[in-house]
Amino acid sequence: MTEVDITSKTIDGIGPHGVKVGLLRVLGPAHVWALGVGIVLVGEYMGWNFAVGKGGAYAALIACWFAGILYTCVAMIDSEVTSTVASAGGQYTQAKHIVGPLMAFNVGLYLVFAYTMLEAANAITAGYLVSVVATMTGHEGDLNQRPFIILVIMFLAWLNYRGVLATLTFNLVITAFAFAAILILFLSTSGIVGAGIMDHAALFEGHALPYGWIGILASLHFGLWFYLGIEGTTQAAEEVRSPARALPFGTLAGIMTLLIAATLTWYVCSGVLPWEFLGDGVNGSVAPLFDTARLSGSTGLVWLLGFGTLFATLASANGCINDASRAWFAMGRDKYLPGWFGAVHPRYRTPYRAIVFLVPIALIFALGAPLDQVITFSILSGLLGYTFMPLNIILFRRKWPLNSIKRGYEHPFHPLPAIMLLSLCGVTFFAVFLGYGTQLVAMIGFYIVVSLWFHFWRYRFVNRGAQFTMPWPKPQGY
Amino acid sequence: MGLWNWIEYGAWALSAAFGLHMVLDWLRTDSTYPEDVLTSSREGELEAMAEEHKVTS
Amino acid sequence: MAHYQPPAQGKASQLIDVVVLVVLTVGALFVPIWLGLAGAAKSVTAPVANPTWESLNQNAAQAARYEALGFTPESAHDLILSRFDYSFSIGALLTMIVVIVLYYFLILRFSEVEYREVISEKFGE
Repeated sequence: MTEVDITSKTIDGIGPHGVKVGLLRVLGPAHVWALGVGIVLVGEYMGWNFAVGKGGAYAALIACWFAGILYTCVAMIDSEVTSTVASAGGQYTQAKHIVGPLMAFNVGLYLVFAYTMLEAANAITAGYLVSVVATMTGHEGDLNQRPFIILVIMFLAWLNYRGVLATLTFNLVITAFAFAAILILFLSTSGIVGAGIMDHAALFEGHALPYGWIGILASLHFGLWFYLGIEGTTQAAEEVRSPARALPFGTLAGIMTLLIAATLTWYVCSGVLPWEFLGDGVNGSVAPLFDTARLSGSTGLVWLLGFGTLFATLASANGCINDASRAWFAMGRDKYLPGWFGAVHPRYRTPYRAIVFLVPIALIFALGAPLDQVITFSILSGLLGYTFMPLNIILFRRKWPLNSIKRGYEHPFHPLPAIMLLSLCGVTFFAVFLGYGTQLVAMIGFYIVVSLWFHFWRYRFVNRGAQFTMPWPKPQGY
Repeated sequence: MGLWNWIEYGAWALSAAFGLHMVLDWLRTDSTYPEDVLTSSREGELEAMAEEHKVTS
Repeated sequence: MAHYQPPAQGKASQLIDVVVLVVLTVGALFVPIWLGLAGAAKSVTAPVANPTWESLNQNAAQAARYEALGFTPESAHDLILSRFDYSFSIGALLTMIVVIVLYYFLILRFSEVEYREVISEKFGE
C-alpha cells in the first residue's frame, strides 16, 4: 500500500480498515425524498398519457392505481431490505447478499439501463421544450435541439461530478417546485379557486373504454411511468447520514407524494383534454399538464407549468445520473465490472469515473433513438427489476428470519406484498407484450447473453467470500 | 442571425466547457493520486464499524 | 476450503470488457429498430371522408376542446381515428412466457451455485 499522509488536507475522510476515500455521508431524509420523487415526477409531466392512448381515460386511471399498488409493494419491500443492506448499488448489493452474484450482476445492469435510458428520455424532452419556447418567442423554422440535449446531460453530469450534496439539494428545490405546480394547476382548474374548466362527463361521453377490457391491460404498460424510478432511493444508502431511518422514511413519503401527484394529474388532464389528443404523446399531447395549462387561458399557469415540466425533466435526469453512476460504481468496486470504475474522487467524494463514463452512453441513447423506444427500454429494465424484488424479499425472510438480524424497518403482511407484486409484474409483462413484444424478447436475449458472459468469463475476477460485506450470521439452509 | 442561433452556440459552448472541465479534472485526479487510494472505497464500512463496536464493548 | 484468489486484470483486458458490454447494449437497443421490428404502430382502419366533428363521433364539448387546441376536423382526423391493433398469436405469447421463465430460471440457477461458494468461503467450512 502506498504511504499516504493521514493529516493531508486533500485526502481526508480516513475510514476504518485502511479505507481512505469513501463516499460522503451528508444526506438527510429530505434528500432521499427528492431523489426518489425527483426521478419520477417527470412521469406526471410526460409519458404517462401513452396509457390513455392504450385504453382510454378510465383505463389509464385503473392502470394508475394498479401501478400504484405495485409500487407501494416495491417501496415497502425495498424499505425493509435497504434499511438493512445500506450500501451504494441498492438492489444490486441486496441481490448480491441475498440471491447470488449472477442475479446481482443482472440487477445492476437493470438499474444502470433503466436510469440511463430514462435520463436520455428526459434530455430529449428538455430539448423539445426548448424548441417549443423558441417557437413561442417567435423563432422562425426548426430549432436544432441537439445542443440543448447535450447541454442537459453535460451540465447535470458535471453537477453530479462535483458532489452529491449540491446535486440533491438542487433536486430538492426543483422537485418541490414541480410538485407545487401540479397542486396549483389542480386548484385553479378544478373550480376550487376561481372558475373551473373541467368537464369529465361530457369529455368521456361515448369514449369510456374505447378498447374494452384489453385496453386496461394494455395501458398498464405505461401506467408504470407514473412511478418508475422511486426504487432509486436506495442508491443513496452510502451517502445518507442515518440510512436505517432516512431511507424507509424518504421512500415511503415519496410513494405517497407520487400517489397524490399521479391521481391529481390524471384528474386534471382527463377533465380538460379529449382522450385521443391526450393519449397520443407524439402527435398529440407531448406534455399533458402543459397543454392543460394552455387551455386554462391563464398566461401565469402556462409559464408555471412550462417551468414545472422543464424542472421535472432536469430533476429526473439529475437523479438518474446519480443512481446509474452509484450502481455502476458499486459493480466496479466488486470487480463485477472492471475495477477501474470503483474509484471515488478524493475531493468531491463522488464515483467520478462512473459518472464520466456514462455520459457518452446517455448521449448515444438520447441522440440516436426515438423517444418511445427509449421509454420502453427503460420500463422493461425496471420491470425485470420489479420481478426480482419479490423473489428477493421471500429469500431474505427465509435466509434471515425476522429476529435473526436487526432490521431498520419491517414491512407488514409478508408475503402478501411479494405475491401481489409478482402477479402485477406478470400482468405488466403481458401488457408490454401487446405493444412491444419484439423489444421484450430482444432485451431478455441481451440479458441472457451478458449473463453467460458474466458467469463464464467475468466472474473469475471477483473475490468470492469478500464480496459478502454485511455483518450477518450465516444464512439458514446453507 | 437570430437570438436563438446565439443561444444554440451558447449551449454548444457551455456543453463543451462542462465536458472539458470534467475530463481535465478527471485526468488531473488520476495522475495526482495513486490508484489504490482512489479505489480504496469498500462496501459496508458503516456496518463494519458497528460490528467492531459490538465486539470491543 | 482454500480461498479463491482472483487474478488481477490488466488495463487492456478491462478495456475489452467495457467495449464488449457497450457493443452488446447498443446492439440490444438498435437492432430491433434497424430491423424495423420495433414499436406499436397505430393506424386508421376506417377513415371518414369529409370529416365533421359529428362524423368523428365528437360531441359539442369534445369538439370545443379540439378547436381550442387549434384543430379542425380535417387535421384531427388521423389523431382521433387511429387505433392500436391488440390482436396477437398464442404462439408468440407462449414464446415470450418461455423466454422469460427460462431467463429467470437460468440466472437463479447459476446464482445459487455461485452463492453457495460465497457463503462457504465467507463463513468457513
